[in-house]
Amino acid sequence: MASKVNPWGVCRSLCIRSRPALQCAERRAALPLARRGLADDTTTRSDGPNANASRPPPAKYVRPPPEHFADNWLNAEALAKLEQAAAGQDLFDEDPGHKFGMPALPGKDDKLQNRYPTVIHQITRLLMRDGKLSQAERHMSLILNFLRTAPAPKINPLRPLLPGSPPPEQLPLNPILYLTLAIDSVAPLMRIKNMKGMAGGGNALELPEPLTARQRRRIAILWILDVVNKKKSRGSGRTQFASRMAEEIVSVVEGKSSVWDKRQTVHKLATAARANLNHPAIASKRGRR
Amino acid sequence: MAAPNCWRCLARPSQRLLAPTSTSSSLAVPVTTATFSTSARLAKKEGGGLSSHVRTGKKLVLGRKKKQDPGKPVLPGERKAFRKRIQLSNDNALEVPGLAQVTAATLVDPAAAGKIVGLPDALIDQLRTVEAFKPTQNWGLFRSPHMLVRQETVDLIKDMTDKVQKKQTVRTVITGERGSGKSILGLQVLSAGLLNKWVVINIPEAQELSTAHTDYSPIPKSEMFSHPTYILKLMQAIYSANKDILSKLQVGLEHIHLPFSVPRSMSLAALANATKEPDFAWPTFHALWQELLLPGRPPIMFNLDGLSHMMRVSDYRNPAFELIHCHDLALLRLFADALGGKTQFPNGAAITGVMTKGNCPKLPSVDMALEQAAAAQAGTEIPARDPFYRKYDDRVFDALKGVSVFNVKGVSKPEARALMEYWAASGVLRMRVDEKNVSEKWTLAGSGVLGEMERASLYVVRL
Repeated sequence: MASKVNPWGVCRSLCIRSRPALQCAERRAALPLARRGLADDTTTRSDGPNANASRPPPAKYVRPPPEHFADNWLNAEALAKLEQAAAGQDLFDEDPGHKFGMPALPGKDDKLQNRYPTVIHQITRLLMRDGKLSQAERHMSLILNFLRTAPAPKINPLRPLLPGSPPPEQLPLNPILYLTLAIDSVAPLMRIKNMKGMAGGGNALELPEPLTARQRRRIAILWILDVVNKKKSRGSGRTQFASRMAEEIVSVVEGKSSVWDKRQTVHKLATAARANLNHPAIASKRGRR
Repeated sequence: MAAPNCWRCLARPSQRLLAPTSTSSSLAVPVTTATFSTSARLAKKEGGGLSSHVRTGKKLVLGRKKKQDPGKPVLPGERKAFRKRIQLSNDNALEVPGLAQVTAATLVDPAAAGKIVGLPDALIDQLRTVEAFKPTQNWGLFRSPHMLVRQETVDLIKDMTDKVQKKQTVRTVITGERGSGKSILGLQVLSAGLLNKWVVINIPEAQELSTAHTDYSPIPKSEMFSHPTYILKLMQAIYSANKDILSKLQVGLEHIHLPFSVPRSMSLAALANATKEPDFAWPTFHALWQELLLPGRPPIMFNLDGLSHMMRVSDYRNPAFELIHCHDLALLRLFADALGGKTQFPNGAAITGVMTKGNCPKLPSVDMALEQAAAAQAGTEIPARDPFYRKYDDRVFDALKGVSVFNVKGVSKPEARALMEYWAASGVLRMRVDEKNVSEKWTLAGSGVLGEMERASLYVVRL
């Protein structure tokens, strides 16, 4: 739970007043600061009993009598509030000074650059060539537009998408979901780590290794990009690359893409290589730990 | 999934492939061939063992490149067709019910300002033939083409139709910021012309005529040059967009210089469709233009998009290898004369030039001429030319003399709201359309510049 004492509460009370603030006599008089002349030496000054004697004692504070029914604006506001309450409205509903309320504050880990969904961000960076981010972003945008306008995909039951995915008719109107679904569905779960010389006789020992979500997506995107780069272009202009890429994504969702075969190969290898986890070289290491 | 290797036998895959198996091909061999053969050649062919080298498959061959199947070659024009393809509908988008179709009355009705209207199919076909839709516009995101009737649209078109009905000539230049909807306003002007049964001529992109990408030829006995193929295509467009009007009009002049006979009973539609020969394109087009200028004809609407591209020296060369000014190209001179007020239109005409800002050459003459025209229109002091700049082009000043400059700005907030509601109803914009979001997008778009509003709200990633 957030603590009640945070700086934002203070920021909220800092507002610009068009009218002068109410003169508050109490606070001004109640500051018991010791006064020091300009010529006084701070290092050698002694706060002895005679130091106070030269200064007049502070005047005793007298509370001014309350001015009932004075013509001040705070009263007018309060009266307006009362009228509001009488009309049955909520008093604390509105936020004066902000037409649409305060903007939501950024979260703790939010950065300026993270303005797009994670998958979109990652694909854009992987599409980028020669550091041309804005070109990559244009490609990304055109890919999403292509997915919007392409006819709804026909799902192949042999290549099921992630469980819980919406029906294919709904995908084109949500191109981000479409793209995410395609990439997450073909992403491999494991990769094969080659331990050099561990199998004996200079042979590498193949070990399966689980991947994080980001790594899985990265591999899937690179596989798709491999296919796209080998595909022959039949058009020209700025939508040329984007349409090739989007066609490949549609074919992934429809189960036609060769990327599925790559995924299957990796999974089969990983299944075969899991026996190697009991290899003495690995097992002994694990035992040492 | 079955494993590629046999689990039972320990044979390696290479051995297994070499070993005889009971496949149909190996069974078929003894049946079709005799047990003995007198022909060594045939036996070799069947066995296949002796023809190749003994060590085939055992040798290590490096550097042999596999030949990839090149596939079907890309046909000429296919790439350009891909680039220029215009998609006007998207079956995935939701249909928005309850929107009216545009009529001639809608476009001049002040009550219709700020409303989204649909385009009827007949109008879509006509606009397609005059190439009013552009590949960079986002028609393809929605179920069917709809457009926003802005306050500017009503102002411009009302003024235009009123004057044309009084047989006056309206000469307008539409300018505005990049992405502010100048071309769409041009499309609305064109649809007004088509719905009002005027004769509509549209040059969709002046850049095509000035960057030396279209063929050209000198016109005999003249200093001008024409674009024969382009003019043929333009006449086809004029014919198919205005077929109904032109077929009711008869030829009224003698055209003895044309290579075919033009009797008085010939309709103008037939004249527009008379030739397929590029050599006769310009004379025929000129004859058609002369016919349209006769009194008693319907009003003419002549539009050109990309006005700045025709206000410069083109990339074409004359036989002396000097660059040709755009106003020496016949079709562009026709437009420049019409826009500059040199041509008299007895039946009324609306001549509209649409500026472009996205891809625009820097032309001080055009800027100065438009500033002067705008000042003359507003009745303020006319700014003087820069005395230290000597490259002003007087032909540009002539072509833009006395035009009315129509400056397109951003849409108002109610218009922005109507637009966003349409986007949301189409399912393209996934957002609650309330006062706050409309305000936000309107502000992000630089006070409602339409192209920027699309970028801010329609695209997930900025385009």
